[in-house]
Amino acid sequence: MKTKILDIGKICLEDDRFRISYYFSLDEIVLSLRKAGLIQPPVVSFLDNHFVLVSGWKRVIGCREISLSPLPVFLLEEKDELKIFLLTFYENLSIRRYKIIEKAEILKKLKKFGEEERYIVKNYMPLLEIPRTLRHLDSYIKISCLEPEIKRLINEKDMPFYSIQMLVELDAEERLLLLPFLSPLGQNKQKELLEGLLEVSKKEGITIKKILNSSDITKILNSKNLSYCQKGDKIRLMLNRRKYPAFFSWKDSFESCKKRISWPEEITLKPSRFFEDDEIFVRFGFKDRRQFLKRLSKLRELADKGEFSKMIGLPYDRKK
Amino acid sequence: MTGKNNHFPKKIFIERNSINFPFTKKILENNSDVPTEVIENAQNLVEEIKSLRDPWGEGKKYILLTTQRGEFVKPCPCTPHYIGCNYFIINLDINCPMDCTYCILQQYLTNPVITVYVNKEDLWNQLDVFLSNRRNRFIRIGTGELGDSLAIDPITENSKDLISYFRKKLDILFELKTKSINIENVLETPPAENIIIAWSLNSEKIAQEEEIGAPSVDERINAAKRVISRGYRVAFHFDPIILYPGWEKGYLQVLKCVLESIDPARIAWISLGTLRFHPSLKPIIRERFPLTKIIYGEFISGKDGKLRYFKSIRLEIYKKIVDYIRSNKGKKIRIYFCMENKEIWEKILKRKPTGNEDIEKYLSSPLG
Repeated sequence: MKTKILDIGKICLEDDRFRISYYFSLDEIVLSLRKAGLIQPPVVSFLDNHFVLVSGWKRVIGCREISLSPLPVFLLEEKDELKIFLLTFYENLSIRRYKIIEKAEILKKLKKFGEEERYIVKNYMPLLEIPRTLRHLDSYIKISCLEPEIKRLINEKDMPFYSIQMLVELDAEERLLLLPFLSPLGQNKQKELLEGLLEVSKKEGITIKKILNSSDITKILNSKNLSYCQKGDKIRLMLNRRKYPAFFSWKDSFESCKKRISWPEEITLKPSRFFEDDEIFVRFGFKDRRQFLKRLSKLRELADKGEFSKMIGLPYDRKK
Repeated sequence: MTGKNNHFPKKIFIERNSINFPFTKKILENNSDVPTEVIENAQNLVEEIKSLRDPWGEGKKYILLTTQRGEFVKPCPCTPHYIGCNYFIINLDINCPMDCTYCILQQYLTNPVITVYVNKEDLWNQLDVFLSNRRNRFIRIGTGELGDSLAIDPITENSKDLISYFRKKLDILFELKTKSINIENVLETPPAENIIIAWSLNSEKIAQEEEIGAPSVDERINAAKRVISRGYRVAFHFDPIILYPGWEKGYLQVLKCVLESIDPARIAWISLGTLRFHPSLKPIIRERFPLTKIIYGEFISGKDGKLRYFKSIRLEIYKKIVDYIRSNKGKKIRIYFCMENKEIWEKILKRKPTGNEDIEKYLSSPLG
């Protein structure tokens, strides 16, 4: 490997055949370049009559950002693409953990540079902490083919594999339509929204596009008073209602019973999660004996109401 | 699905340290037309199959003969926070050649290959100890928890040995649980009142669409009739009951067929359980069976963390099925729920189970 001083413009950044990382912030590297200069020279190779960047993408893009040129570079003599790619792969592997999008890119490129699928599964996937299966290889290859905007979201939000797999099941148009709503949500809400869409789509036999174009969702989407985050939340809750019609029907009945008997706010009445247990919990605070007895007497009064019996009989009596 | 046909198994793998067991020799003699391969380490084969695109589909093509290093007999794990029935399971072989979409083994087992344990002497010894430690109480025990009891019986002939072992132990109810119709070995073996041959049944639509490679419901019921004619008692497991438009008609039709063609006195029990599964099974089913809709029902997270239908739906299903059984010659048939809560037992069966032993007593008595 030789060292060389190279004008930054001579490095063909459009040729990204060895690039692993795409979605990163330049703030820290720019600061470092301004304060300390380029300490570690990037690695390039001369292929197809131009200089191709092998490793040091963040550094070179940072240099370009602050017009730092020419640069010291290491010039590889190796011409075999796979061997060159492995150099950057192992170099990065030794210093950091790859993110999901980077792993997907690596696997795609290993395949492109001629590694056999079974060899990739056996030898590279364990290094990337991916289960050694062809099924996982397929999943990662699909992830590598997602739209750049989606990949950026996955990277920025550190989306878990399970949610990414759901994104893969959508078509490009659907993914891009969802992008603004997914972006402000946290991991759990993203998962819930995607799961809701996929499940309602499968359950009702309609496309996700059709769900998103339905009047109730369009109304949310067109609302000017709601932020993207609020819109995402509302859609998520609406999908939940479609996913759990029996549960919400019970929940609504329970709440309306409570309302009808004017259940006092200071006494909490809470059924078990999803009403799976038949017990209902009551919780209240009191300052003294007088208040304690007053609340008990209020509870007694409520218990004598017909609506109360109806409420505790749910959901079994719902259909009666 | 027959256990021994032109397509299955594609090959029998034998772990080297299992070659000399008499059971291995018997299996190989009985299946001399099946290609075999001796392997040094079963784990390597398992890892190899697991690395494929569809490990579960692939694993069902082969049989692995190996030894059981742990316990053959275990309490049925049931599920936390729901009522169990004190059942014991014998793990003599695991996995099965049928490929039901909802099969929990896809998530539960770490080994996708159909595996037969050949150290049967250890099984008998363990069973002797197990049973002598539990003298003076009824025991319900069976195979068919981590595999199908009869699906590969033409290859292993396990049913003959198991029935013969349990036949004289009259305070023990032994159950073979299957979806298959491989009953030839059972028919060749003398029956006893404490031996129950059980079929897992479903509506014909679910059987056709979700129980890939399994015989039709009619074939299963006909097989049950044949074992009854031979002198055995039978049981039926409607599990998992799956909700779909028209489910009621579908399930009641099967029940009608059972109750009209089988003497209720020969039915030891009917168990009911609606579809439930660990959340991690969902992506597996979605990936392996993209056309199935069964995982998109109204599933809530139960007290055990498994997904199950919302309670009002379960109550409705059980009520309709139990009412039908009770009012159609099945008044005296013992019905129980698999992995359900107290409230469902009380509301549907009007029983207040006081614990697992109570259910065990209900199902074991009177024996025969």
